[in-house]
Amino acid sequence: MKHLSRLAFSEGKVPMLLILTSVLIGATIIAQSYYFVAIVEQTFLGEQDFQEVFPLLVGLLLVLAGRSLFTWLNGWIGISLASKAKRYFRQSIIEKFSRHPVQSSAQGQSGRKISVLMDSVDEIDGYFSSYVPQMIQTMVVPLMILIVVFTQHLYSGLIMLITAPFIPLFMAIIGVMTKKKSEDQMEKLNAFSGKFLDILQGLTTLKLFGRSKQQKEEIESSSLGFRDATMEVLKVAFVSSLMLEFISMLSIGLIALEIAIRLVVYESVSFFTAFFILILAPEFYLTLKDFGSAFHTGRGAAGAAGQLTAELERVEDEVEWGMDELEREGPPMISLNGVSFQYEEGFAIQPIYTKIPPYSQVAIVGRSGSGKSTLLHLMAGLVKPSAGKVIVNDRSLFEYKESEWFSQVSYISQDPYLFSGTVAENIAIGGSDGGHTRMEIQEAAEKAGVSELINSFQYGYDTPVGEAGRGLSGGEKQRLALARAFLKKPTVILFDEPTTGLDLRTERILQESMEELAKKATVMTVAHRLHTIQNADQILFLERGKLVGKGNHEELLQTVEEYRNMVTVQQGGGTA
Amino acid sequence: MKDLRDVIQLVVLEKRDIVRSILFGFLAGISAVGLFASSGYLISKAALIPPLYALTVLIAFLKLFGFARALGRYAERYYSHRATFTILSNLRLAFYKRLEPHAPRIFQKYRSGDLLSRIVGDVESLQNFFLRVYYPPVVLGIIFLATIVFTSIFSISVAVVLLLGLVITGLFIPAWYSVKQRKYAHRVREARGALSTEAAEFLYGYRDLRIYQQLAKKKEILLKTADDYLDEEERDGRQRLSNHSWNTFVTLIISWVVTGLGAFLVAEGDLNGLFLAMLVMISLTVFENAAPMAVLPSHLEDSKRASARLFSIVEKEKVDKGIWTLEDHQAPSIKMSGVYFRFPDDEREALREVTLSIPEGSKTAIVGASGSGKSTLMQLFMKFHTPSFGELSVNGVDIRKLSEESVWKNSNVVLQENHYFYGTIRQNLQLAGDILTDEEMEQALEEVGLRFDLGQKVLEKGENLSGGERQRLAIARAFLKGERLWLLDEPTSSVDALTERMIFEHLYQRAKGDTLVLISHQLNGLEKMDQIIVMEEGSVREAGTYHELIEKQGYFYEMKQIEQNIFS
Repeated sequence: MKHLSRLAFSEGKVPMLLILTSVLIGATIIAQSYYFVAIVEQTFLGEQDFQEVFPLLVGLLLVLAGRSLFTWLNGWIGISLASKAKRYFRQSIIEKFSRHPVQSSAQGQSGRKISVLMDSVDEIDGYFSSYVPQMIQTMVVPLMILIVVFTQHLYSGLIMLITAPFIPLFMAIIGVMTKKKSEDQMEKLNAFSGKFLDILQGLTTLKLFGRSKQQKEEIESSSLGFRDATMEVLKVAFVSSLMLEFISMLSIGLIALEIAIRLVVYESVSFFTAFFILILAPEFYLTLKDFGSAFHTGRGAAGAAGQLTAELERVEDEVEWGMDELEREGPPMISLNGVSFQYEEGFAIQPIYTKIPPYSQVAIVGRSGSGKSTLLHLMAGLVKPSAGKVIVNDRSLFEYKESEWFSQVSYISQDPYLFSGTVAENIAIGGSDGGHTRMEIQEAAEKAGVSELINSFQYGYDTPVGEAGRGLSGGEKQRLALARAFLKKPTVILFDEPTTGLDLRTERILQESMEELAKKATVMTVAHRLHTIQNADQILFLERGKLVGKGNHEELLQTVEEYRNMVTVQQGGGTA
Repeated sequence: MKDLRDVIQLVVLEKRDIVRSILFGFLAGISAVGLFASSGYLISKAALIPPLYALTVLIAFLKLFGFARALGRYAERYYSHRATFTILSNLRLAFYKRLEPHAPRIFQKYRSGDLLSRIVGDVESLQNFFLRVYYPPVVLGIIFLATIVFTSIFSISVAVVLLLGLVITGLFIPAWYSVKQRKYAHRVREARGALSTEAAEFLYGYRDLRIYQQLAKKKEILLKTADDYLDEEERDGRQRLSNHSWNTFVTLIISWVVTGLGAFLVAEGDLNGLFLAMLVMISLTVFENAAPMAVLPSHLEDSKRASARLFSIVEKEKVDKGIWTLEDHQAPSIKMSGVYFRFPDDEREALREVTLSIPEGSKTAIVGASGSGKSTLMQLFMKFHTPSFGELSVNGVDIRKLSEESVWKNSNVVLQENHYFYGTIRQNLQLAGDILTDEEMEQALEEVGLRFDLGQKVLEKGENLSGGERQRLAIARAFLKGERLWLLDEPTSSVDALTERMIFEHLYQRAKGDTLVLISHQLNGLEKMDQIIVMEEGSVREAGTYHELIEKQGYFYEMKQIEQNIFS
């Protein structure tokens, strides 16, 4: 909430404008009442001709137009304010997302992040478009009315002054009550409201067990249960507006009574004053009541604002790159110099030292959760080491320009991501600057054994894939990722080998392609296949984040017992 | 209105609460008018200095109206919201009744998981139909009618002006903006969809974008899309605002006309000046009731869309026509010959020329890469789909002639994703049969290696259980159902090897003499199977016993080599 109000009032101009329009609205409300009263008084008591009240009518018309115009203007500023705030938040969040290290863009997080970007930002709209303008109006308009009433009739002013605080007071009391009530009902509400979705999601299971017809009663009873629980909460809210209505009504009644008695019994006020006050009083209480509803909107935005600030203030170790150029002739010499990484919770990658000469093949081996993927991310420069350095050609990796490094690197993950776009575009994302001919793309697809598949599509290379396009199987995606690499011609390949579920053809293509690609590059693989491991020049064997063995297959078999155990269990038939 | 026919039918079921809502809405609205009218009259009367008792009566009136308004408003809100939620319940029930016969076929058609949440959202948005669209115009109409009749006692022309005002603010302006709004709302939705897609691309493809140096470019696109969405939203907001402002302006103008006209009539002597203040107050108040008309068009639009979407989901679906039933407690046989199958909206065939035979009482394993059509095959066995072409028969009967319910009734199914309901372990197991004893259930749990207490809580979708636990619970449920056809789709993919072996031992014991089809995620442990069917790209590549396939040194053999080669 604080963050939002700071944002709303960060520019002096906007609040000033809102105050200005509020003052103008207040002025037109007062002037409008004045003209109505004056016209009625002059025709009713003054018994004047129509011509004589005509100027008053013109004045009234102008005032009414003014009131509509200023209310519109006030709303307009609110909308602009909301847009500005939303733009600020969206941009900052996108900016934040674009810099975060790869680790935190894990799948589970992404859904939440999208919801922050979309929903949370949308939810703060009400704060700026309705709460802030209404709050300023509530500060300005009743005050103006009160001053006018005081100039007209002291006692009415006093009644207003005394009764007005009861409205916010009651609002606060009732707010606390509803909150408590809804907390009491929360569990019930959640259980009931989820039931329908729960049953729909389980419909397949229910049908298979022949239970779907019985669920009608469940749906009905949970829906009605939801109704009753919600009504409990709503009743409190309705009673609250009833009370507010009573307060404002009693106050207006009190004013009316007081005026009427003075008018009739003591004859101490004029008709004009009496009517004027009588018309102003409801406006006074109305503005106060309006604030109540705007307040709810404002409070609703507070939760969303909290999420936004939390997201923006989350500290993440960003990777920062330098300005140096990277030698482009052949693969670089890479070494890990005490590279370690501490996860947010739990275990860490212990300092790792090793040298990876050009054209060598490195296999990272270990059980799941031993830190293999993180090590690959560290080598790729996608994650910043907690300590130590990745050295590339005698210099720290992060002294190079980001583009210099990544233009040399390909990363083939277990589940490559397909972007919305055509097949050709998805392959060409692998090129350093995109300027590839269709010929080159086709050639890459050919090498990756995916051209036959692409040609079988109705639109060939122009077939849309990804989110909105056709779905591809895991094996097909894997081959598309290989095509990306063939097009890019990297000198460093980082490869997260798929575990299972590939068809034989893809398996074969994968193996052949990797051999082909390895001729011109250094390959670092998170290895799941024995032949990859056997062919590796160097194996990094990890256990719980610790490098427990380094060397080739034969060396490790002899020296590291855990490694020997792992391989023999696998060859002995594994899980069978 | 065609779209909303079904919804209206469901709404009018709640007659009593509807009548109450309208009645109290009217009471509240008309009391407000009465309150202000009488205060205008009171003050004019007071100016003429009548006897005090007349004033007392008027003040009493004033209080009465005030209380009536406040209480009326309360009751209106209470009954209209209660009606709304009852209608929600009716809607859910009605929709469920329509959807139920088509499940689970219909879910296969919409493979994206958000179909269900969309359904739930649409049903929920329809609850606004009564509250925001259906009854406010009725209340508004009656209030105006009463007010206009009352006003016409004093001046016909003022009454005509009010009527005119009602037509403009209640009909013309909302209709005008509803046409414009439709376009804008559509554009806002489009822009929102685009942003959400871009954001998903950006986050899910983050690593690839970074490595392929596309991050900056993609970020620009994302920012641009975010801006477009904002612009559309802003335009939509401005549109609403101007709608609202014009409406207010017109109502104020009407009051102005009433005032001017009244002043004129009084000056001409056609109207008693005593009533002028009252008429002005009436015109200022009565239009407060027209405010809900401003939001009506957008809610109407939402309701129409939601309703059209909801009912179109089930409209075109065919109902299962099979009437034959399988004989209970007998292990069935399954035969397929030359079966082709294609999912609707998919150009590729999911199954091609599949011919296979699963004799009664046999044990069959289906293996193959992901996407090779194993699960599709199983779905055909379960009659979730019928073949596009070719023959599929169970016990020699064409599956099209068999009732789907009879197929389900006679099979124990474990899917890749099984559903658990909010409740207890016992309740979730009892789906398999009402008369199950605690001993039986505990026995089944033990056989799958679960040490659960039957009273233990299960959260929605089994969220509080691990993947392996969920799978084992599904197997226990299948054990308890005890039918003679077993259809198991990778039932133990998240279970550790030791437990897996134990589960399969119990499974074979329970399934002795039964027909069993198992989609296996691995090739180990299939030695005991009578038949292994190897799938590749929607076709049967090979079939035979474990030893036959190994000896043949074909596809299965090669897969087996690779599997042995893989560390996971």
